Amino acid sequence: MSGKEFFQNRYQQLGFTLKEVKLRQAIRINNTNAKDKNLIERLSGLGVQLEKIPFLLSGYWVAESKVSAGATAEYLLGLYSIQEAAAQIPVSLFSDLKGKRVLDCAAAPGGKTVQLADAMANTGGIVALDVDKRRLAALSNHLERCHVANTVVYLLDARQATTLGLKFDRVLVDAPCSGNYASDRDWFKNRTIKDVERNAATQRQILTSASECLTDRGELVYSTCSLEPEEDELNMDWAIKNLNLEIQEIDCHGTRGLTNVFGRELDASVARCRRLWPGDTQGFFVCKLKRRRKQ
Amino acid sequence: MKARAVTNFASQFGVNLSLNPELVVEKNGRFYFVNEALKPLLVRKDFFYAGVFLGKAKEGKFFPSFNLLSMLAQRGAHRIVVERKAAWLFICGRPILAQSVLQVFGSGKKNMHVLVLNEFGECLGFGRIVGNLNVKGGMDEVAVRNVSDVGDFLRRER
Repeated sequence: MSGKEFFQNRYQQLGFTLKEVKLRQAIRINNTNAKDKNLIERLSGLGVQLEKIPFLLSGYWVAESKVSAGATAEYLLGLYSIQEAAAQIPVSLFSDLKGKRVLDCAAAPGGKTVQLADAMANTGGIVALDVDKRRLAALSNHLERCHVANTVVYLLDARQATTLGLKFDRVLVDAPCSGNYASDRDWFKNRTIKDVERNAATQRQILTSASECLTDRGELVYSTCSLEPEEDELNMDWAIKNLNLEIQEIDCHGTRGLTNVFGRELDASVARCRRLWPGDTQGFFVCKLKRRRKQ
Repeated sequence: MKARAVTNFASQFGVNLSLNPELVVEKNGRFYFVNEALKPLLVRKDFFYAGVFLGKAKEGKFFPSFNLLSMLAQRGAHRIVVERKAAWLFICGRPILAQSVLQVFGSGKKNMHVLVLNEFGECLGFGRIVGNLNVKGGMDEVAVRNVSDVGDFLRRER
């Protein structure tokens, strides 16, 4: 069970007609290091024209560029990061990050870790985990380039996060996932439903460990760049039924989560999630959870 | 001891850097500064990165991070400000010509290390002074040899 036709048929059943998309390069201004207005002017002087992404605070599309946005002095000085538009959403859903203790599961290559540090104005503390040592080197470079000062990085599988013996006010589970065809040209050739199911199982294990690290009044944001409901709505339906979590209303870009997946009825609160079908962004899914309040 | 490698390096730039040794941690020859808020999160000895990366020591030599260089720039280190084109060439690994130097702060003696800043006061790296820094206009002699610059972030990815 694989191939373009197979997945296309699935998306059709979920209400989406597959279309080719051309992703636009996006950047996020690191407000700890630069002010939007000043940086826009500086980049304009280099021939980089930016267009504000309407649903993000400091996100811009690169509308036109005479130089590589990843090789300017301003980039090397950490004034901005290159970060896909949808990927900027999860961190923006946390409330009140300053001074908090934050866990970033599966953190490499670190775009969201840097975004967290920026939103925290380098206060509090972040623990960033990843299992891939090579990717951790990329994460470390990213932290140094952006002058991040509040992060500790461990080579650790997020499924073992509880072994740290720490509790966190905010937990980001940007889960390793199957990805989507908009950001991977060969996606339909390389993916099978078995891969999707295996990833979904891993994601549940990460969610279990991550939720155990959450303080009673903490917030957990779960995201994937997968379009497959097994990794998205079905996992959230499972989480609220097994991990003593409840889904929070969020106000962000995207359509409401699916509550009927291939004929299976999910908890009505799953609609509070957001699903982004490929279009002006890559495919994406995001959900905010809190501990279930005692009745 | 751990902090000394860092403070010795800082002193080359005329900065008396005071670091609480309790807050400087070392892992595989790499030095980090962690603040009090971050210390409780250092629960394992095998961390990969922590707080502010200060630099690494290798074969008795200290290689500063760009975070440390920025810290030194804020603390009045010996530094020069260079014009826009020279700033870009410096990031590409090139030396600074005397005619490109806009301002000199602190010592400009030959063989000394000096930070190189752009017109916005941002630290691009550092170099060794090999010529006269105070010659403005017309002189195309090399004033500062490039030792390290932020273009390294791109070179590391290759």
